[in-house]
Amino acid sequence: MCGTCGCSDTANAVKITDLSTGATQTVREGSILNASRAEQDHHAHDEEHHHHEGDDQPHRHGPGGEIISLETAILQKNDQIAERNRGWFEGRGVLALNLVSSPGAGKTTLLEATIKALENDIKISVIEGDQMTTNDAERIRDAGANAVQINTGAGCHLEADMISDAVKTLDPVAGSVLFIENVGNLVCPAMFDLGERMKIAIISTTEGEDKPLKYPHMFRASELVIINKMDLAPHVDFDEKACLENIKSVNPNADILLLSAKSKDGIDQWLSYLKNQLSS
Amino acid sequence: MHELGLTKNIIAIITEHAKGCRVKRVSLSVGPQACVETRALEFCFDIVAAGTVAENATLEILPASGDTFLIKEFETEEAA
Repeated sequence: MCGTCGCSDTANAVKITDLSTGATQTVREGSILNASRAEQDHHAHDEEHHHHEGDDQPHRHGPGGEIISLETAILQKNDQIAERNRGWFEGRGVLALNLVSSPGAGKTTLLEATIKALENDIKISVIEGDQMTTNDAERIRDAGANAVQINTGAGCHLEADMISDAVKTLDPVAGSVLFIENVGNLVCPAMFDLGERMKIAIISTTEGEDKPLKYPHMFRASELVIINKMDLAPHVDFDEKACLENIKSVNPNADILLLSAKSKDGIDQWLSYLKNQLSS
Repeated sequence: MHELGLTKNIIAIITEHAKGCRVKRVSLSVGPQACVETRALEFCFDIVAAGTVAENATLEILPASGDTFLIKEFETEEAA
């Protein structure tokens, strides 16, 4: 649990770095619920949602005091911002994809290969999420796409308000693809909607074929599972059949692609999958 | 996994709706696919509730379906 890593801690500042200008801004001093002054102004419209929930609140009288019925989703604030992001993406015709994996599964390498393969075809921008460093956003920029780095500090996942801030900086054009490379973590990002069209889980052959069974929530939340580093499969005794069965057992509806971002084997299927998604 | 952060969300929502009244009971609906460890939630609740309107409140966790994760209701103490 995040009691150890300190997610949502007030001490947890979140920073966004625009790689085209090098400018860094602090978007959040801590938890969204203990928002700083600047952020309260920024999300002033969120506050409005709460005014009308005052006096007409459904309640009944219990033995002592009042029982107030809420039926309030605990992640409501995140979900509201995520829905707004989703509307913005749909309105502008931007395909937003949330890439999730363990650290080192090859998200950034896959993005580099994708950007290079589609450079004359599809405009791509990337939001990079990591606890620290702008290394990944620099790699993306060097590959030829616009990138914004979000550093979550102690946080172990991206949240919807970070995406809404990052998108203002990136300003993705109509008909483009926006990749959101989440913090490498197979647990927490499953729970946080960012407003994406879909989550895409990436596992690599070096991680072992039982990852989907160990982290079922993430694989259940993803519409596409990419098995990366297929070039290494023979060297690490990767059991492809077992891996496919494991994915299907936690998510029978998942699409599955096998590829190697490094050797480019299987990458064409991924590119056509992307193009299909963009046109649908 | 996020139980400490989630508990802070719960207490923040309750504090907002309680409007200064003391809270003696909080009921949550939690489904099996909510990715929430209820024992960790219980562990965090007392710690996070300390010093808020929900200090010493009891936490009730009601089973629900799917990925339900709601504050169902809360009960305030009778005004003195």
